[in-house]
Amino acid sequence: MKILLRLVLVFALTPVVYAQRVNLDFPGLADKAREVVDVTLDGALLRLGSRFLSDTDADERAVRDMVDRLEGIYVRSYEFGSDGYDRSAIDAVRKQLGPTWKRVVSVKSKTRDDVEIYTDLRGDKIVGLVVIAAEPRELTLVNLVGPIDLDKLATLEGQFGIPRVSKKGDRQ
Amino acid sequence: MNLEHELRAALRRKSPAPGLAERVLARAHEVPERRPVRRAPWAVAASLLLAVTLAGWGAHRRAEGERAREQVLLAMRIAGSKVAYAQQQVRGISK
Repeated sequence: MKILLRLVLVFALTPVVYAQRVNLDFPGLADKAREVVDVTLDGALLRLGSRFLSDTDADERAVRDMVDRLEGIYVRSYEFGSDGYDRSAIDAVRKQLGPTWKRVVSVKSKTRDDVEIYTDLRGDKIVGLVVIAAEPRELTLVNLVGPIDLDKLATLEGQFGIPRVSKKGDRQ
Repeated sequence: MNLEHELRAALRRKSPAPGLAERVLARAHEVPERRPVRRAPWAVAASLLLAVTLAGWGAHRRAEGERAREQVLLAMRIAGSKVAYAQQQVRGISK
């Protein structure tokens, strides 16, 4: 009985340090885009994808080390025509971020993306990440749920180009 | 009279043939011979069906895993590239 009581106390006092999932889907945004990258990976699908990453390839091993600790990966990247897109989507993402979220980087550029990076800090640990990268004709929204090392994430860019995915989901 | 005689003859007590009791007991202890059931074709068919189903499921699972792997790589490269770009800009300004 004492053991059971201790277990209950341990579970009750252990803080749940999972970051929230942020909604990145806004009506009309994908419909208006010329090209769309839409990645939603969580639970079993994320574990499955991680299992299929190579052991021998250094890039893939680095990705797996990060992904194994994550609860969810959500990416939306849109490329629009000359009339651009409704920027209220960016505010809608920001509004969802609670008091534990902090903006750690904000880059304004006249020639490239404006980038904002928000992290969900619990103690000294990052348990969630939101990236908003906005250009006049491109918008990329990223939400990673789980512990993240920003420096390691930055190294994953690698030397590969980022393939674009059409609205039908075909890689180009 | 004749009928009475015939009935008596028919109902007359007869002694069993010698050794009948032993033969009956011996038969009773014999294990009845089982008719062979032709299970082999069903077993082969069931095994084949199971093998085909498992192979199909395995192939489907592999394809699903490969798709998930590509999605993971794509997502992490997009996230990585945006974070790397932001870090470069911050480092560029602070130099």
